[in-house]
Amino acid sequence: MSLAGIFQEHPERRYIMFGGKGGLGKTTFSAAAAYWLAQHGHKVLVFSVDPQASLSDIFQRDIFGKGAVEIAHNLYAQEIDADQQIRQYQDEIRKRILDMYGLDKVPEEIDDYIQAAAAEPAMEESAIFDRVVDIVVGGEFDYYIYDLVPLGHALYYLSMASVYDEWIGKITGLRQEMEEYAQVATIMKRGKETEEDLILRELQDIKYRINTSSGILTDKEKTAFFFVIIPEEMVILDTQKAAGLFAKFQVPLSGYIVNRVIPPDLAQLDIPAYLRNRLEMQRGYLERIDTLFGNQVLARIPEFERDITGLKMIERMAEVMFGGAA
Amino acid sequence: MTETKQSKFRQILDAAKGTLYGLAGHDMARFALKTRGSMEHLFILITMGDLLGVPILPPYYSLRLLPYVVPQISTWKRRMLRERDLTDALA
Repeated sequence: MSLAGIFQEHPERRYIMFGGKGGLGKTTFSAAAAYWLAQHGHKVLVFSVDPQASLSDIFQRDIFGKGAVEIAHNLYAQEIDADQQIRQYQDEIRKRILDMYGLDKVPEEIDDYIQAAAAEPAMEESAIFDRVVDIVVGGEFDYYIYDLVPLGHALYYLSMASVYDEWIGKITGLRQEMEEYAQVATIMKRGKETEEDLILRELQDIKYRINTSSGILTDKEKTAFFFVIIPEEMVILDTQKAAGLFAKFQVPLSGYIVNRVIPPDLAQLDIPAYLRNRLEMQRGYLERIDTLFGNQVLARIPEFERDITGLKMIERMAEVMFGGAA
Repeated sequence: MTETKQSKFRQILDAAKGTLYGLAGHDMARFALKTRGSMEHLFILITMGDLLGVPILPPYYSLRLLPYVVPQISTWKRRMLRERDLTDALA
């Protein structure tokens, strides 16, 4: 099966993700896949969930924190500015407190808490995670391509979702029980209806957002997840481990793409021993990749003579990825 | 029945209802409210624990709940941080 074949056979898989260790080409493949899909008449958004995003670099345009920016016809890219997102969110919370209690100033203790919470290490990830819901639920695009964070973070991202979900489920349960007690008291006093519990509503909305965001990551029908690997020992070992963990979290794996393959034709030429050794090394690992992952290997992408930045190079990459040149 | 008789009857009925509530219902209502109050504090603890240095709910989402519990924060902190003594048994 080829990469293009997966897309043709499963047009319902609208959420496309490339995962793998850092620096192996996730952003490159995300951009190239977005480009290819856009060329085939689909409206595509490629967005980054990485606080250290590099879509701006690959498209050679500053899109950081500017929403969905049109790069070419049908092709949009977005980098979420987590800091800006957090600041806006803090201001919203402050404003809500002022409105709810008719205050001119947020009490100091409360404001300290709001500021301290923003400094939490998980805050950026959470903010991006939460923002993704708005992006994806909008449903404006035919395809959403996630430029994912490196493996470790992605796993954190997934486990965070399941922990959040469970925890919020518990809290919601407690809140519902509280509501029941309030109702009993009201009935005993023969009072009118109880007020609607706003906190409960808020919790249910949080639960919905978390479920939507993590639900997509694990949606077998609508999501295609590709692992990016290179023919090197450490990468293969790490990817195997990660694939096991991802399977535990029910991430639907669509296949592997091998990047940075030194063109085997070079062996026919007069090349230095250094390059010959690397070729030989890669040949061994490529065989191992084939035995390990078999027909799940969808493409072998050669090492290019230069780095992939700008639309011209992205176009070349897309041709190699989808044009059957593997 | 005439108008006055009817209102008298109503008065008696209301008094009886009130007495019955006082005898049976009031305690139950008080208990329900007290339980709810304790749970309210438990709830704030598990969502706003960071305020006491106990990080529990992901802070991104606990911020969303913060506005609703602003009035309770000070009594809750007092309750959570105070030491237990004999008078607690009477409360």
